[in-house]
Order: sequence, then structure tokens, then C-alpha cells
Amino acid sequence: MSNNSVISVISRFLEEYASSTPNKLKVIDAYLLYVMMTGALQFLYCLLVGTFPFNSFLSGFISCVGSFILAVCLRIQINPQNKGKFLSISPERAFADFLFAHTVLHLVVINFIG
Amino acid sequence: CFYAFVEDLCSLNQCKREQRCVFVTFCPNSCQSIPVSNDTRDLLLATVSEDSTASQIHQSVSALSALGLPLASQEVVSALKARISKEDNVLAIILALLTASRLSQQAELGDILEEIEDLAARLDDLGGVYLQFEEGLEATALFVSAAYSLSDHVDMEPPLKEDQVIQLVNSIFSKKSWDSLSEAFSVASAAASLSNNHFHVPVIVSAQGPAAVSHSHPFLRLQVTDVLCQPLSSASVLAESASAVSSKSAVLSQALFTLRDGVFELNFMASQPASGYYQFSVAIAGDSRFVANHVELKVKVSTRVAINNMDLSVVDKDQSIGPKTTRVEYPTKAKASFMADGHQNFAMTFQLVDETTGVELTPHQTFVRLHNQKTGQEVVFVAEPDSKNLYKFELDTAERKTEFDSISGTYALYLMVGDATLENPILWNVADVVLKFLDEEAPGTIQAKTLYVPKPEIPHLFREPEKKPPTAVSNTFTALVLSPFLLLLILWFKLGANISNFTLSPSTILFHIGHAATLGLMYVYWTHLNMFQTLKYLAIIGSLTFLAGNRMLAQKAKWFPLHFLSFGTRLISQI
Repeated sequence: MSNNSVISVISRFLEEYASSTPNKLKVIDAYLLYVMMTGALQFLYCLLVGTFPFNSFLSGFISCVGSFILAVCLRIQINPQNKGKFLSISPERAFADFLFAHTVLHLVVINFIG
Repeated sequence: CFYAFVEDLCSLNQCKREQRCVFVTFCPNSCQSIPVSNDTRDLLLATVSEDSTASQIHQSVSALSALGLPLASQEVVSALKARISKEDNVLAIILALLTASRLSQQAELGDILEEIEDLAARLDDLGGVYLQFEEGLEATALFVSAAYSLSDHVDMEPPLKEDQVIQLVNSIFSKKSWDSLSEAFSVASAAASLSNNHFHVPVIVSAQGPAAVSHSHPFLRLQVTDVLCQPLSSASVLAESASAVSSKSAVLSQALFTLRDGVFELNFMASQPASGYYQFSVAIAGDSRFVANHVELKVKVSTRVAINNMDLSVVDKDQSIGPKTTRVEYPTKAKASFMADGHQNFAMTFQLVDETTGVELTPHQTFVRLHNQKTGQEVVFVAEPDSKNLYKFELDTAERKTEFDSISGTYALYLMVGDATLENPILWNVADVVLKFLDEEAPGTIQAKTLYVPKPEIPHLFREPEKKPPTAVSNTFTALVLSPFLLLLILWFKLGANISNFTLSPSTILFHIGHAATLGLMYVYWTHLNMFQTLKYLAIIGSLTFLAGNRMLAQKAKWFPLHFLSFGTRLISQI
């Protein structure tokens, strides 16, 4: 029975998601999924083969994690339902911040990747 | 000839006046007979003024007094005082002292005399041993000769204490060769004034040859001289006390040295001192001018040693059989050889005495050397005296097998006796000893201990490269990691990302170019650049992109998904 209820919860969630989420957010969610998968695969590789070279693994993994976090922030800031909380930040401004933060992140990642 | 020379000079008007003065300054008194022209005399007198240097005044005054010409001493004194206050360096004051010693005794030389004390205060004390000016040896030596010549001239004792005189003597005569003729002259001048003045005559006491006496040389000979090494025959030399260094017991007191052939001697052996070192305290009297006339000397008394009662024995370990003792007389060797093995020990006892007095001695070196003639091995032991000064040496083969490397055989036994106070050190082949060791390892050939051969080479271990997975695995994973990107593209396409709504405006194009350039810069940074260069380029590209982006924002074009897409390409860097 619990199996059924879990499946029904999930399917209901997916339905709600597909219908009520604006396109912009779906795009970001797709991106989030991509980042997460990339990070997970990197981690799997590290588990299987070992941490040599450790700095490369770290920089790649941190890049994934950082990108994920920044994208989540962007999603929160863009979401029209949260508009009340971010009165001073327009979506364009949020995106610009997102780009700038990514520049810094990638500078560091490239430096560390070796 | 000298007179003609001087007159020639005086007639040469081109000559500078100083040059003429110099030639006459160091003239002996016999110059007084040389006739001098009025011009020259006036020239010399004119030099005596406040405007000439102290050196010029010294030269003209010396010339005038050597030539026997009259001069006004008081004028000279006032000129000197003025020069001293103007120049105020050590050399000028010394020259003033020398000048003053040429003036008449009625003149007021008190102020100049006080300068001696002021100068003495300027001397630097170096470790309590040396006293000299920082200007150097020459200034110190000249000061000494100037001070004493002026003091003699006015007949007043110079204000120099005995310690200061001793320290000055140490400084002045510290060098054995001199840098310049003037330095050598100053030392000679100081030596002459120190040995020949009315007040202080430093006394130099040194032993003739080594300060050692023995039965064959019983006399302690001392040379007592002044600084110029002229013997002071008028002196009387007294050994106030002599005590042994080790026991501090007095051996001699108030013994007078006798003068023979310019050397003072004392028969020390007559007091029958035991061998060793003695500290002498010697006083030299005879003249109230003597300075440094108390000296401490260390004298060595040597003797000859004799070995008594050398007994060699073989002692049984379980003490069941009594020891067999053989007595050997120096310098003969024992006829039979002695055996030492597991059951028996070899023992040796002897006494070392003074040959003449029979007193027991304990020299510094008493060694017993065992030498294996076949293998060349030698082992040395120390023989120790017991409380009754009887030397004992015992050899137990079981205890000592490591020193011998357990090699049995015949060893020649030598006794070595030596000391600084012994005139006859001894190396005596006493006997042959046959040693037998248990569990002989038969080492074969004996190698000399090689300490200084090259050591075995240590090969360098390079750092092992880390274990890397096979290329196939890493390639697979590279492909795997890139695959989510495809997924992303598919998802975005499904969501209907707006690629078509693309307004071509300059700011948009610029923004895209700037964006792509940033990505390219990241790649180039990875491969070629360093952080500083990257930051430089990034600043340029970033500002352009920012400006273009701002413009775009103002236009509010539907650029959002597209730019997000273009941005996603950044993540290729995660490889």
C-alpha cells in the first residue's frame, strides 16, 4: 500500500510541477539536473579509481557544487512567487549577479585544476 | 760641508722656510759653531707664532736651540698654548712637549707639563695589558719619549703610575717589525728614554734558556735588564719565595741571586726540591727608579726516574698454587716467557722512584704495551698506582679478549714511562708473554681498521609515479561526464528554449562575443597563462561584457534562455 502511495505522491508532484512551473524555472531545473549528474559521475569516478590527481578532482567537483548553488540562488531570485522578497533585485540583475559569480568561480576552478 | 750646505739653502730665497728649518732641527749641539745669516735667524724666529702649526714651531725652536741662537721662551710657551687649544690632537700636544723640553728652565712650563696628565688620560686600556692611543703605536711611543724628556728637563716626576708604565711598555714593544721608518724611530726613541731617565726605569726579567733546573743543571739563571736589554748590574735580585705549584708548600724564602758574567744565578737544587713545578716570586731592588720590579716565574725541576722492584708473576685464578714471581732489573729482559691463559693471570708490580733522592714518583704516563710480533697488533694498557705508590698491572685473558681479538700468540711486553719533569723517559722491553685465548675464532688475516675508505654508495630512489587507472577507464568516464550535457540540450529543446527570438543589436552581439571571449580566456588560462595575466585580460573582456550586458538589460530583450544556454557551455571545463 505504501508503495502505491509513494508512487501516487510522486506522479502528483510531477503533474503539479509540469503544469504550474513557469518555463524559465524549468530551464533552470534542467540545468540543475545536468550539473548534479555531472558532479555525481565525477564522484563515482573518484570512488572507483582513486583520488589521483586530487586537485583536479576537487576543482571539478567544487565547480559542480558551486554552479549548483549559484543556479539555485538564481532560481530563487527569479521565481515570481518570491517577488515580494526580492524587491530591489530584478531578474536581469539576478542573472547578471549569477554570471559574475560564475566568472569568479571558474577563475578559481581553472587555477586549481592544474 | 754641512755649513756650506746650510748657507746655500739660506741664500736660496725660492726655498720655503719650512724646508730650511727641517734640516737644522735634528742637528747635534756641535751645530752651534755654524754661522747663520740674519735672514735665517729672523725666519726661524718669525715661525714661532700662533699662526704656524705645532710641528713648525717645534722645528724652528729645535733649529734655534741647536744653532745656539737666543730665543724668547715665554713667547714660545704662549704660542704653544695657543696651538694646543687650536689643534687639540695628540700629535700636536706631543710636539708641544718636545718643544718645551728645549726651552729654558726658567720659563713657565707648568701648563705644558699638565698636558702630560691630560694625554695619559686619553690612553686606551686594552684588557688591562696594553695602554695605547687610538692613533697608534707611533703616537704612544712618541708620547713616552716626549713626556720623559720634558720631565727630565724640569726635574719633575711624570704623573704616570707604575701600572701605566708597565702597560705602555707592553704596547710599545709588542711588535717585532714595524711598518715605517718613523714608527721604528719612535719605538727606539721611547726605548732610549725609558732606559735612561731620572724617574722610571722598567726592569725586564727573563730566564736564560728554559726556566728549568735539574741535578745536572742546578742553577736558575735570570737576565735582569732594562728596556734596551742592557744588564742592570747595580740591581740586587732576591727570590722572595718559591712554592710548589701542586702542594703550595714553600721551599725557599729570601734567597739572594749572585751576579756572574752579567747573569744572576741561584742554586735551587741546593734546597733539594722534589721534581715538579715551582712558583717563584722575585724582587729586584737597587734603584728607586725601578718599575715592574716584582715578577712571578714558573720554574720546572726535572729529575731522572728509576724503576725498582719490577716483579713479574703468573697468578693462578683459583689461587690454589702460589704465584711465581720473577724479578727483572732495568734494562735487562726477563729470560723466560710468561704464560697467561684461562687458568692463569699475568701480573706485574713495580715502583717508580727518583734516582737521586729515592722519593716515589707518579709520572703522567705509565703504559704497558703488548706487541704481537707476528701480526703487528699492539694493545696498550695503563698501569695504575695504588695508595702506596706501587704500580700494578694485571692481565686476565678472559676479560681482555676483545682488545686482543682473541688472537693467541707471543706478545712482547713493553713498559713506557714519561712525564714533562722526567729527563729520562723509559721504553723497556720487560718480557715476552704468551697469551692463550679460549674459543679462538681464527679470524684469518687481520685487517687494519679501515676508517677512511669510501663508503658504499647509496643509490637514489626516485619517487615512484602514482598508480594511474588504464586509459580506457578514464576515457570512458570522460565520455560519461560529458553525457549529461547532451541530456541538458535535449531537455532544453523540449522546453522550447527560445533560440529563434534573437534580436540582432550591437550590444547583444557584443555581449555574446564578450561571453565567448571569457570562455576562451578560461581555456587559455588553463593551458598557457598565469593568474595575473588572466586577471588583466579578464578585466578588459569583463568590462566590455558588462557594459554590453547592461545595455541589453535596458532593452529587455527575450534573451534569457539563450544566454543561459550559452552560459552552460562553460561547464565543459569540468573535464
